[in-house]
Amino acid sequence: MTPMRAMVIDDSRAMRMILKRIVTKLSFEAVEAGDGKEALDLLADMAEVPELALIDWNMPNMNGLEFVMKARAEPRLREMTLVMVTTESEQSQIVRALAAGAHEYVIKPFTEGAMIEKLALLGLVPTGANS
Amino acid sequence: MSVEVEVDENDLAEMVEQVWEAYLDPEGVSPLMQTYDENQPSEVHSSVSITGSWSGHIVYSSSRAAAQRAAAAFLAMELDEVSEEDISDTLGELANIVGGNVKAMLPPGAQLSLPQVVLAPESSARYPNTERISGVYGLWEGEPVSISMWQSSTDTKEEGA
Repeated sequence: MTPMRAMVIDDSRAMRMILKRIVTKLSFEAVEAGDGKEALDLLADMAEVPELALIDWNMPNMNGLEFVMKARAEPRLREMTLVMVTTESEQSQIVRALAAGAHEYVIKPFTEGAMIEKLALLGLVPTGANS
Repeated sequence: MSVEVEVDENDLAEMVEQVWEAYLDPEGVSPLMQTYDENQPSEVHSSVSITGSWSGHIVYSSSRAAAQRAAAAFLAMELDEVSEEDISDTLGELANIVGGNVKAMLPPGAQLSLPQVVLAPESSARYPNTERISGVYGLWEGEPVSISMWQSSTDTKEEGA
């Protein structure tokens, strides 16, 4: 069985390492990108699109919201589940991200359990994977 | 433009507790013990700036040992594996997380900068025309750690006018 793939998009190497650790534990193969532009470049070179992208909001070059809008406009990327992982916790920002096409939203700081529960809600990992 | 700041020490302390629970002390065995001593020493610091409906800086500072311990916890490494880059990354992300949560408590229209990290004491930094308005000061396993808010004096003058 082919493992699921996840792309972790965050300008913080520390946060990429945390997210990569969590998704790897859930048997995803993880790739990293330092901003939205790097993520789009990597995706353009990939034969198969990852099932999941975890996306920071505040990043240089191309921020997370811009990445979501670009990804949603690209038919090849439409099957990818987009989760914003960010400190941007204002209601208006959440609405903007969801309206742009993000599927879910996780606010930093988050615990590993909270992230796993969110991915279970999205049907990407089995319910109870956290236990 | 100025706003009355509604982020107090209790709000900051709650955020700090969440950060510790999520990344630095998930087992709940070594919380930050508050000392309320705003003059405690620091050896490294990081900051993010907020502009717009409120203007100022959020500063995370600590001893180098506490920063090394934070990086080890954050990155699931052994203490002796932690590099200078790991410390910088972790300090930057800690300032970003606290700053982002402070921003969420402010009126709409505020913007958050990318973090700045300086591996030198907080006292070596200059935030022109600012005033420290709030902070959480404590010891983490005996090492000093603080999170403080510095408001632009342009804002404070307008508030007083």
